[in-house]
Amino acid sequence: MPGQTTASLPRVAITTGEPAGIGPELTLMLAMQAATLPAQVVAIGDPDLLSSRARSLALDIDIVPCRPGDDLPAPQAGRLSVWPVSLRAPSLAGTLDPANGAYVLDTLDLAIAACRHGQASAMVTAPLHKGAIIDGGHPGFTGHTEYLRDACGVDEVVMMLATDQALHGVAHGDTSCPLRVALATTHLPLRDVADALTAERLERILRVLDGDLKRHFGIVSPRILVCGLNPHAGEGGHLGREEIEVIEPTLNRLRTEGLDLTGPLPADTLFTPRHLATADAVLAMYHDQGLPVLKYAGFGRGANITLGLPLVRTSVDHGTALDLAGKGTADPGSLRVAVSLAADMARHGQ
Amino acid sequence: MSQAQPCIALTLGDPAGIGPELVAKLLEQRDVVGKANIVVVGDRWVWEEGQRVAGIHHEIPEISSLAEARDQTGPVLLPTSTIKPEDVEYARINGLCGTSVLEVLKLCMDGASAGQVDAICFAPLNKLSMKQGGLKHEDELHFFVDHLKVETPVCEFNTLGNLWTSRISSHIPLAEAASHVTSERILSATQLIHDALIAAGIEQPRIGVAALNPHAGEGGTCGREEIDIIAPAIDACRDAGYAAQGPFPADTIFRRARDGEFDGVVTMYHDQGQIALKLMGFERGVTVQGGLPIPITTPAHGTAFDIAGKGRANVEAMRHAFDIACRMGRHHASR
Repeated sequence: MPGQTTASLPRVAITTGEPAGIGPELTLMLAMQAATLPAQVVAIGDPDLLSSRARSLALDIDIVPCRPGDDLPAPQAGRLSVWPVSLRAPSLAGTLDPANGAYVLDTLDLAIAACRHGQASAMVTAPLHKGAIIDGGHPGFTGHTEYLRDACGVDEVVMMLATDQALHGVAHGDTSCPLRVALATTHLPLRDVADALTAERLERILRVLDGDLKRHFGIVSPRILVCGLNPHAGEGGHLGREEIEVIEPTLNRLRTEGLDLTGPLPADTLFTPRHLATADAVLAMYHDQGLPVLKYAGFGRGANITLGLPLVRTSVDHGTALDLAGKGTADPGSLRVAVSLAADMARHGQ
Repeated sequence: MSQAQPCIALTLGDPAGIGPELVAKLLEQRDVVGKANIVVVGDRWVWEEGQRVAGIHHEIPEISSLAEARDQTGPVLLPTSTIKPEDVEYARINGLCGTSVLEVLKLCMDGASAGQVDAICFAPLNKLSMKQGGLKHEDELHFFVDHLKVETPVCEFNTLGNLWTSRISSHIPLAEAASHVTSERILSATQLIHDALIAAGIEQPRIGVAALNPHAGEGGTCGREEIDIIAPAIDACRDAGYAAQGPFPADTIFRRARDGEFDGVVTMYHDQGQIALKLMGFERGVTVQGGLPIPITTPAHGTAFDIAGKGRANVEAMRHAFDIACRMGRHHASR
């Protein structure tokens, strides 16, 4: 990074995720690009696993075990610092072993502690396998986001996706993050969405979103576009009344506190260049209202961000891809975006 | 001659929106006039106002009944008397505008039913104005169904380029969308889009069916409609001879469609398809009213009140709506 000394780079810890998945090799691939990353990257995982995965993929990488308190060497392509966590059982690419569910949780615990003690500025999570963790003796496990929420003792977190390009490649303003879409509800059956969308929930989510856009993105007065729930945003109450009864009153209340909120807008007109160009973030009411657009519309690569935590956490936007694991064909693009976003957020949050 | 040159009724849409301007701009395109016998149906002053906003002036002759439309050599105007200039203000929801729109559409449907025109292409209308102006139905499609006394299944198709979409529910609250997912509706939407694609010249339409829930229900952990209803319905579609596949999650089905894997996509609720289509090309989308005895098309966009009366409306979607009306009208006339 021109004009930036190594020491000023935020330290970003990557949890390498499910050992049988693509997480370890994506981290190794990223280490090959270490010199051009806007962060000092340190991996959390089993050093022997990373070494053997590197060998089998013919990646010439120096794995350097170190401790969270240690200084990191200057970023260099082909060198990866690792905070060691030991596998519970040997891991074969592509083959899940529930015995390693506890290992994955150990990597998360180490990352959370390092962030909270200031040894890392941010954490980035490679994909884990929910089923393997549940089968490994953690039946209550529901995912990264909930685990972090509970570990940090907060009530509400918000899932937000961000991309590295604006719609159709058009840059606007801050080039690090041209489109951000946050979700008011996440992994819910569609039939449960309307009931879950209460005024209280919407208010909490909007406060977290507004607060973290200021805190972690350096936006003084974030402009947020809010989707309606119903077709045509309810069209004056003819196609559903949640806009009138829940969304509008909540937006009005928060506007009196100075939040810059536009909406509720029909989702199918909001997600067009004319509207997106005016926004720092979009709040979608449900998963498939907000996320599919990031996948097919040419926004470049995306990554997930968890807002509302006392630490910075981003993650890749894909799963463990067991069928690709060990083959070296997986694309580290989303991990790179996740690391860049984490570094940006950490810098703003300093 | 009617087989070679369809007769198209073109309406001006809501007078408070961009419709009249779009029709003026459409007729300005030279190759449009040669594609069909065009009859503009609407109040003369609305037509003149549309031309003024568009900065265009066409002298087109008047006819006194749709029965005369087919005999004309160039575009003609069938003047109506539905609304007064002093009752219209741009960009306002207005029941009088809604009534005007409904009257013109009835006139066109009656003409089409009588075989006087082969298809209808209507400029954008405003549903709220129509409801205030007497529309009793959930949307214009059901108004058409009622007026044309259709008793078989109907479906609104949205098209973008070569991709057509149908949906099993439309203008209903999202809270009710899941209860509308039934095997019958999926089969019917698949059948309707299959037939329409055949009519549009696609010999063996490939149809993708969307899932309802995030990640297609994640094996039943995030909703069971995929397992209990949608997958069995797709099997039934295949048994009936339609090349249907799915259910595919919302975030991948349109990527695959965009890459040319499907000719048609069946979606489970309004915004699932609309967000995707509008994002992929809002200005070019067209809505086709499927399952009616006569072809009816319209641009997918609305009255665009924010730019109404300003001369800045983009005519591209109106042009595509007109082109599809011509194609389907020709097919209709040749039956």
